[in-house]
Amino acid sequence: MSASLAPECNEVKEYVLSFRVHSFLRTVSKHEYRRYDSCFLKWYSEKFLRGNATTDECEPLFKQYKQCLGKALKSRGIDSMLEEAREDNRENDAQHLRDG
Amino acid sequence: MKVFATSTDFDYSWEEVSTSNWRKYGPWNEMTPHVIAVDTLSRTIDPATGILRTERLITCKQTAPKWVNTLLGSKDTSHAYETSYVDPIAKKVTICSMNMTYSDLLSVRETVVYRPASSNPSARTTMEQNAKITAFCGGWQKIKNSIEQFTVERFQQNAAKGREGFEMVLEMSRKVFAEQRELRIMQEAKTALAP
Repeated sequence: MSASLAPECNEVKEYVLSFRVHSFLRTVSKHEYRRYDSCFLKWYSEKFLRGNATTDECEPLFKQYKQCLGKALKSRGIDSMLEEAREDNRENDAQHLRDG
Repeated sequence: MKVFATSTDFDYSWEEVSTSNWRKYGPWNEMTPHVIAVDTLSRTIDPATGILRTERLITCKQTAPKWVNTLLGSKDTSHAYETSYVDPIAKKVTICSMNMTYSDLLSVRETVVYRPASSNPSARTTMEQNAKITAFCGGWQKIKNSIEQFTVERFQQNAAKGREGFEMVLEMSRKVFAEQRELRIMQEAKTALAP
């Protein structure tokens, strides 16, 4: 998947891989699934889409990644821009969480 | 204000499209090298509807032409804020994005919806894309118009590229999933045969 804007967070988000399918398959071993993005994709395709999503097993990884990212967003001043965007997005939430 | 709308079908199931959508800007997509980072900000399942809501921050290398940078002020990177809503029962993905950079001068709001295609719901997916572009530069109607016109033209070019890039991601995902399945079956067979 994609890299983080904060390189220091890639460790927990996911390695930045440049690969072909075969090398990809060889390098994707169990430990890769510990990275948040991979963990999420697996959960999404195997559980969420099939209606078996009771708990989010990727939550502990997400917490680690979010902690790292939060610092980066603050130091770059992106957090205040995000607050504005969230404010502007309220109507989308109202519409799409209601309609489904 | 200017409006842009387009619709297209992909020869992949809704499940494949909705999964690949999370990798849309990854290394498999050769058409979006300007997207340098995609960060997930929050992710929750709405208890009432079962809809998965995700907030992401998209970071791009700035590629605006010089005259736009002269007018709006030049920046190295730009950010977009994206919220998506996945309803696994209704089989609908809705992705809303807006610009965070230059947002005092220009508003770009895009909505993309993926749904099973009515012609072949189990194997095809329809994508509908809508964008609203509004420039706010006081009374300078001419400048406002040229910024809106430029942005809508960019959108048109990017929509074609976006489709091509997403096709690459869909194709790779299908290959990788097939190979992973094969690998798993082989491993299971090996374990079963082990003394």
